[in-house]
Amino acid sequence: MLCAALPLLWLPLAGAAATEEPTREPGSPGEPPPGLALFRWQWHEVEAPYLVALWILVASLAKIVFHLSRKVTSLVPESCLLILLGLVLGGIVLAVAKKAEYQLEPGTFFLFLLPPIVLDSGYFMPSRLFFDNLGAILTYAVVGTLWNAFTTGAALWGLQQAGLVAPRVQASLLDFLLFGSLISAVDPVAVLAVFEEVHVNDTLFIIVFGESLLNDAVTVVLYKVCNSFVEMGSANVQATDYLKGVASLFVVSLGGAAVGLVFAFLLALTTRFTKRVRIIEPLLVFLLAYAAYLTAEMASLSAILAVTMCGLGCKKYVEANISHKSRTAVKYTMKTLASCAETVIFMLLGISAVDSSKWAWDSGLVLGTLFFILFFRALGVVLQTWVLNQFRLVPLDKIDQVVMSYGGLRGAVAFALVILLDKTKVPAKDYFVATTIVVVFFTVIVQGLTIKPLVKWLKVKRSEHHKPTLNQELHEHTFDHILAAVEDVVGHHGYHYWRDRWEQFDKKYLSQLLMRRSAYRIRDQIWDVYYRLNIRDAISFVDQGGHILSSTGLTLPSMPSRNSMAETSVTNLLRESGSGACLDLQVIDTVRSGRDREDAVMHHLLCGGLYKPRRRVVCLNQDPNKAHILHLYKASCSRHFISEDAQERQDKEVFQQNMKRRLESFKSTKHNICFTKSKPRPRKTSRKKKDGLANTEATNGKPPRNLSVQDTAAVILTVESEEEEESDSSETEKEDDEGIIFVARATSEVLQEVKVSGSLEVCPSPRIIPPSPTCAEKELPWKSGQGDLAVYVSSETTKIVPVDMQTGWNQSISSLESLASPPCTQAPTVTRLPPCPLAAEEPQHPFNLPYDPRPSFAFPPSLAKAGRSRSESSADIPQQQELQPLMGYEDRTHLSPGTANSHWCIQFNKGSRL
Amino acid sequence: MGSHGGLFYRYQDLAPQLVPLDYTSCPDVKVPYELIGSMPELKDNPFRQRIAQVFSDDGDGHMTLDNFLDMFSVMSEMAPRDLKAYYAFKIYDFNDDGYICAWDLEQTVTKLTRGELSAEEVSLVCEKVLGEADGDHDGRLSLEDFQNMILRAPDFLSTFHIRI
Repeated sequence: MLCAALPLLWLPLAGAAATEEPTREPGSPGEPPPGLALFRWQWHEVEAPYLVALWILVASLAKIVFHLSRKVTSLVPESCLLILLGLVLGGIVLAVAKKAEYQLEPGTFFLFLLPPIVLDSGYFMPSRLFFDNLGAILTYAVVGTLWNAFTTGAALWGLQQAGLVAPRVQASLLDFLLFGSLISAVDPVAVLAVFEEVHVNDTLFIIVFGESLLNDAVTVVLYKVCNSFVEMGSANVQATDYLKGVASLFVVSLGGAAVGLVFAFLLALTTRFTKRVRIIEPLLVFLLAYAAYLTAEMASLSAILAVTMCGLGCKKYVEANISHKSRTAVKYTMKTLASCAETVIFMLLGISAVDSSKWAWDSGLVLGTLFFILFFRALGVVLQTWVLNQFRLVPLDKIDQVVMSYGGLRGAVAFALVILLDKTKVPAKDYFVATTIVVVFFTVIVQGLTIKPLVKWLKVKRSEHHKPTLNQELHEHTFDHILAAVEDVVGHHGYHYWRDRWEQFDKKYLSQLLMRRSAYRIRDQIWDVYYRLNIRDAISFVDQGGHILSSTGLTLPSMPSRNSMAETSVTNLLRESGSGACLDLQVIDTVRSGRDREDAVMHHLLCGGLYKPRRRVVCLNQDPNKAHILHLYKASCSRHFISEDAQERQDKEVFQQNMKRRLESFKSTKHNICFTKSKPRPRKTSRKKKDGLANTEATNGKPPRNLSVQDTAAVILTVESEEEEESDSSETEKEDDEGIIFVARATSEVLQEVKVSGSLEVCPSPRIIPPSPTCAEKELPWKSGQGDLAVYVSSETTKIVPVDMQTGWNQSISSLESLASPPCTQAPTVTRLPPCPLAAEEPQHPFNLPYDPRPSFAFPPSLAKAGRSRSESSADIPQQQELQPLMGYEDRTHLSPGTANSHWCIQFNKGSRL
Repeated sequence: MGSHGGLFYRYQDLAPQLVPLDYTSCPDVKVPYELIGSMPELKDNPFRQRIAQVFSDDGDGHMTLDNFLDMFSVMSEMAPRDLKAYYAFKIYDFNDDGYICAWDLEQTVTKLTRGELSAEEVSLVCEKVLGEADGDHDGRLSLEDFQNMILRAPDFLSTFHIRI
């Protein structure tokens, strides 16, 4: 397929395509047809963008192909594969077109391909880690690059003087220094591509990667200075020029950084005022960052540095200002663009290497360069590390140094720079090009291939994805303060002192200025982490469910679908709750957005004075969230508490019977699962509890249907206010973004909305909740206290019952089957909500029993009791509690008349069956 | 700690009128907490008082030269991790009962957040913190719990020092 597309592909990079005559041009550029043409071929008009699109498409397709085999990609870095593919494609092009085309043009590379990668890495740079290691990074970037450039250049010159380089390579010392300057810089693209797959520890990564980003300034300066010296001719260079060269290093680097920071400031300030035009938020981020890049490039400052600083500087404020959807959009667009650019770069590198017309091979030069860059890199790293370790809190050990030396990959920047050389001024350009290509290929392919085994073999500390804990956050802050205090007392203005100063300044002035007031007010890292942890728990829970799934050995759709399911469902659940959370299984970077707080007022109104304003409401905002977390927990509880025997039988009886239906409606399962927390909550709960107690006798295991119906209304109510603002700002996104949208407006609207949910039920993958308690599950901390729980996941889709309730199950199964959907899917979940979002966090607390309120599946009280026989001591408590919130919510619904409407619920269920 | 001399002068600097240059003549002199806590750099530090208290002899925040030097010994690179953990623990243990209880944590959280969280939120956070680290489920953190938790996070204590 790729080959078929090839003849079409004209790479219009840097306007090159415009000048080159196409060899096989589809279409007729000749004289226009006399009359009205029925069909016109307008290749020329679309040529440029068409080719760009096609190349990106080819690159993406190649990526897909590579990732078809997990084995290959786990062994070979993608960058290697892409370079090799580029070689092959280049060969084909060469064979077809008889000359090499579509090469990596420096203009395209620097203006279009590099910025997204740098922006991505700058924006997502872990800033704390970066600044903690800033000293080391700067040393390696500045001293290391200078060292590499001069030693490599000088050594090559020495090699030439020694006669090891063929005399046809006409190059002076200055030429070699110029070559040294372009070949010595570690390349961010290559480093990122390889190191992202290696997963070395964070410190090591940030040092190598930070170096590769920051050395751009040095490279640019060195290259420009050497280049101008070469062009001036070494005879004309005066002492002042050397001084200017040194000065320009500062101008270029500091200027680049300053441009970046200015644009970061502008960007942060702009996003502060985008409340009503959320839709352009992502665009602003990209535009201003790109403007920073172009501005720096225009002033011949370090553009990479500018974008890095822009991304690094603006992130904190931008993330606080923009909506969570914009955040997601920014994240994915950035990643997409960066990955796309990276792919194209490596592929074009491969293609460019085929062009033998640019080449001139000299073994001495090539081998000498290879040896010297490796040798001097290692030597430089060892020397610098020795010096740095005198000052570092955590010294870099030998293994780190090996990886740092070996990880000094060269890449497309060097290639683009060498192509930019002027052949008339640098007669040995062709040799340099060939050498650069070899060096780049060697570092990317050989080092890229071997670095993973090396890291394994050396047992380099890998990055550990330990769960972030609240403790960690707390202690980190505390330790910072303590260290700063001790430094203050001793009168030593060290790193902690300055960080403390900066944080004060940031808090007092910058944040005030750059953050939306609402965002600023709510910004508190500890609370933030707390909030994020809640969501993470929910996700890990769904994830766990997936593992349990697979361990049951049922014939289920493949694991990937499990993943996607987990993602979609949790995401949807959370979205549905309007938590402002957007989830991604890998990176949970959900931050409580300003919206939450902004919606507080709305909440306040809607909830009929039940809640206190501001902080209080934040808790409530999270309540729907928590509800889902709770019910997720509960899902596992129920699974957990089914005995092993039951599992066997259910595998046969239940799962086989109902597989099909489960596939279609796992979603409703989730809504069915309900959960309560047994620990009585203070405050609000107490009232509910009383109501519940009062009501227990009457309901006695059969909660009246209308109650739950009203619960649903209450739920809708809670959820709704979150959506309000969204609908203001980004209505366009709404339809495809939200899984289910509950809106408490009018019946017709509800119906309409519900249709959306209906479509969701045909979710890509089925959710099956098998009853097997796995080891992992047993070990879960939150399992510890719930030995007293029996199982009541009785949604029609799961049909999981304890083994001793099998008869009851069989009796009710028919009635179940007739019920397409439970009367109230959502209600139990949310009604069991403790008012405080803490519930999910407390592993020790025994979890309460899920209870299915549907009359169709009501166990006789005796049976229910029997089901809990394992935990008779606590059997009563859960029962009363699972009922109590119903009353509480009923109260709430009364408080908000007009929304509590049983009519809705019925329609909702109708809709959900669609 | 080659800089003990320097530290002494710094100590002397804190209260020049109290601490004579010839320290040996009156080794029992204390720098009152008021002087330490009123340093302009420390003004915004939420833990200034707590640190002084932990390192002072009788928990009143008045520091002798020994206390002063102790503080830097603990914060030096050479200090063993256990010692660091112990002192960190002591700093958290506001009521000096040998455990970090919910109340202690609330103090910490309140200080850290500079009172931006409501009491309710603070207690939620504290419950979560306790739940994460409480190994023996007694509702409070013993030194052992604390060490376990803090050693679990890799570079935690290794960065808990300063160079002077």
